[in-house]
Amino acid sequence: MKVFGPKELHEDVQKKDLCIGCGACVELCRYFRNYKGKTAMIFPCTLPQGRCYAHCPKAEVDFDFLASKYWGEPYEGRPLGKYLEVRAAKAGDRMDQGTFQGGGTVSALLTLAMETGLIEAAALTDREGLVPIPRLVTGPEEVVKCASSKYMASPTLAGFNLGVRKGYGRIAVVGTPCQVTAVAQMRANPLEKEDFNDPVALVIGLFCNWGLDTRKLIALLTEKMDISTIQGMDIPPPPAEVLILETANGEVKIPLEEIRPLVPNSCHICPDMTSEWADISVGMFEGRPGWNTLIIRTSAGLKLVDQACQSGFLITEKMPEPNLDHLIEAASNKKKKALLKAQKDGVLNTKQEDQRSAIRMRAEVIERITA
Amino acid sequence: MSNFIEGKAGTRLLLMGNEAIARGALEAGVSVAAAYPGTPSSEILENLARASKHWNLYVEWSSNEKVAMEVAAAASFAGLRSMTSMKQCGVNVTADFLLHLSLSGTRGGMVMVPCDDPGAVASINEGESRQFARSVEIPCLEPGDFQEAKDMIKWAIELSEEIQNLVMVRSVTRLSHASGTVVLGEIPEMRPQAVFKCDGFVLDPKEGIMVPAPVGFKHDLQHKKLEKAVLRFEECPFNTYRGPEKPELLIVTSSICHLYSREAVHRLGAEDRVGLLRLGTTWPLPPKLVEKHLRRVDKILVVEEVLPLMEQDLKVLAMELAPQIGVKRFYGKRDGSLPMVGELNPDLVGQAIAKILGMEYKTAPQEYVDRARQLAFFGAPARELTFCPGCPHRASFWAIKNALELDNRHGFVCGDIGCYGLAVLPCGFQTLKTMHAMGSGTGLASGFGKLGRFGLDQPVLSTCGDSTFFHTGMPALVNAIHNQSNITMVILDNSGTAMTGFQPHPGLKVDAVGNETPSIDIPAVCRAMGARVEVCDPFDLEQTESTLLKLLEVKEGVKVLVLRQICAQSPEKKAKKEYEMRVNEAACLGQNCGCNRLCTRIFRCPALVWDQAKGTARVDEALCAGCGVCASICSLGAIERKEAV
Repeated sequence: MKVFGPKELHEDVQKKDLCIGCGACVELCRYFRNYKGKTAMIFPCTLPQGRCYAHCPKAEVDFDFLASKYWGEPYEGRPLGKYLEVRAAKAGDRMDQGTFQGGGTVSALLTLAMETGLIEAAALTDREGLVPIPRLVTGPEEVVKCASSKYMASPTLAGFNLGVRKGYGRIAVVGTPCQVTAVAQMRANPLEKEDFNDPVALVIGLFCNWGLDTRKLIALLTEKMDISTIQGMDIPPPPAEVLILETANGEVKIPLEEIRPLVPNSCHICPDMTSEWADISVGMFEGRPGWNTLIIRTSAGLKLVDQACQSGFLITEKMPEPNLDHLIEAASNKKKKALLKAQKDGVLNTKQEDQRSAIRMRAEVIERITA
Repeated sequence: MSNFIEGKAGTRLLLMGNEAIARGALEAGVSVAAAYPGTPSSEILENLARASKHWNLYVEWSSNEKVAMEVAAAASFAGLRSMTSMKQCGVNVTADFLLHLSLSGTRGGMVMVPCDDPGAVASINEGESRQFARSVEIPCLEPGDFQEAKDMIKWAIELSEEIQNLVMVRSVTRLSHASGTVVLGEIPEMRPQAVFKCDGFVLDPKEGIMVPAPVGFKHDLQHKKLEKAVLRFEECPFNTYRGPEKPELLIVTSSICHLYSREAVHRLGAEDRVGLLRLGTTWPLPPKLVEKHLRRVDKILVVEEVLPLMEQDLKVLAMELAPQIGVKRFYGKRDGSLPMVGELNPDLVGQAIAKILGMEYKTAPQEYVDRARQLAFFGAPARELTFCPGCPHRASFWAIKNALELDNRHGFVCGDIGCYGLAVLPCGFQTLKTMHAMGSGTGLASGFGKLGRFGLDQPVLSTCGDSTFFHTGMPALVNAIHNQSNITMVILDNSGTAMTGFQPHPGLKVDAVGNETPSIDIPAVCRAMGARVEVCDPFDLEQTESTLLKLLEVKEGVKVLVLRQICAQSPEKKAKKEYEMRVNEAACLGQNCGCNRLCTRIFRCPALVWDQAKGTARVDEALCAGCGVCASICSLGAIERKEAV
């Protein structure tokens, strides 16, 4: 994969409005910082190559490079990426029921991983007011405090980078596809450092169609309500077409058509719905409240899930075929739309030497996806 | 106490121009002196403040130059002799009062001493104060050396008293800040009685009211005063000629340019070919005296700095006199013999003379020039304009820069004059985007803050020093508050008029002489005006940044953030270090990804040095002021601080 420096990162991502604010470049140094969802380059850095560029999920992401690194094969553009199996899942009896937004699968897996010492810290997403903030947690009791969907682009990986800097060697990351892509690039040691040690013990990816711009969402909600009364938010599966805000004074519903303009430009070129580079991916189970869809991708992921089922942290069931088909269709659609958009915007497989791309993917794979 | 304050008449001393001017004020019997600090003028009032402990003299640092002129004028109205001094830009601040004062006239002798800065050695303009003398029609004198700098003050005070109007004595940097020998005169024992007579006939200049009206009458009176001044100028001892009776070229010059001219003529060995008319009274020009000298030659070179004012006036006179003295050929700035901008020097004048006379002018030998250039380029350490080690401004702008970038809405800062003006440069992270006059940052911000209706959605900030706040910052802030401009004013309070040498200002508990005096609390003033006010220590980068970020999000009204930390060079600090700083070389990342020399490349405190050989940063203990701020910018904790004992 091609790796450039902070100057190029600023040009390719921030100036092109492709920064999603995932936090991958934050807390590596003092040059990039995130505030209320927006990442800023504070001072110019002159390095020709930097981790900031190498990790960024919107700059020169080479899908073949990642696929060969993690899957040992070229990237074929399968809708859900590579996986071992897909199941329905929810937290088991060992977890306190009722504290989760969905099935509680993520919290259950993390709690187990932390209790067994598989991981010593987890980079999660908490919130301050409505603003999502990175949180590095080191105890199982802190895990559930970060549960619940934020629906906003979050600098979660800043917490991960902080954890690495603090010297944690077995960190779990829970992130959206962009964040999981960043972590995958980081683990691939793109700068080929000799003393590189992979600090990641577990990657739990989340399903994501799009996020919302934190600042724009807060501005919109501020117009409609006293945002200090908001206790939670939810986007129920289609055909609901609403964002539901649970407030101290009851539910407030906002039509999705009002919300869609708040989707960052960057989400529209994201070809990944299910966090393909994770050990385990988790999302909603459409049509079955209280349950999650669970994609087990790696043997490490499978081992954790099995252990969780045996020890009562997790209950899993077979995923019904129609639901799986539906998931594949949704993921395919996202891939197709994203690649067409990236192509149109000139950030896919640019040919000229001096032009850099957001995404690199084999031409025949793109053709297949966009056909 | 300095010799020149107590020194007896006849004593010969080496004096700085500004000391000579201060001594001149004492010898002139000045009772009241007021000024606002500004390089190159500040030492005049500083020395008079010292003298006030010895002589019966009232001296104050006023809140701005206009107020200073008003304070001095009050003394004059009450029959006392008075003086006000300022740097060239300060004349602009006085301009409104100056215009009216010149019409109302004065009583006790009153002199204004603007100190111009040709070449902008310590300014951001090449302002020309002689223009003001013409514009408001008051006599203008220009001392040509250090003796004259002293003697001319007395002469000007007496002239002022005679014509009952203000007189300008204009100095320049190379006179005010250079030194030369001066023979002292007598300081009179004066016990003046101040009385403001204002109940006489309204038009009586000595006992009536002091107003510029009726304008027709007063303006006419003012012209009569000028005519009287011109009569005195014809016989003035400060207008002298040296040279042959019939030279080939006549140089007409004034001020410090007279020394450049003499040196140039001497270097050329052209004493027998060039005559030198040195004018001390440059406006209005005395026509008879000028005619006498113009008759000597056909070629005239006018040597003066900044605007070609004397050149133009001489040309007008020459044209009027042409039927009697014939047509003359003039050289100067307008024909390009001398540059229109920047300071003059003996070489520039020498080259002009040589060209006119068809001579060869040799500056230093070429070999010497080349060697000097080479040494300057390769031998001198690379130094840039920067904040001192331990300067609170570096910390303040670090926090402001971080907050603005994090806020991410293309916010910008309007700055003004003071050390913090350096923040247009890398040392202040290029945070300032406008810089003009004292207090203008907040005035501009006030305007920017009203452009929301036209789509301007960038956060607008201003920075203003503590002394500047009292000088002209307050009216701008009042304007912003009253007109509901959405701005954040950052007041960089470093406890003194630091840039010009720690002169006190109304926010401090001490006056010009060192006596205790009530201070005015800046945050309280801003709150009383109606601003939302926060106060932070800029050395606490995190708190300053988060406070500023919160203020930037307040959608309406004026926010004020006072960043309070004493100047690192302040005499009050006595160079005491709060922290001992060191770099833990093992932890320093140096040029690697994760740092890339943030401390020595971006933060750039002069006390942080890049050790090329080791590839780490290092603290230069001799330079370090021990403020401890760099420890907070190093994300790896490689810069360590411990409390100094």
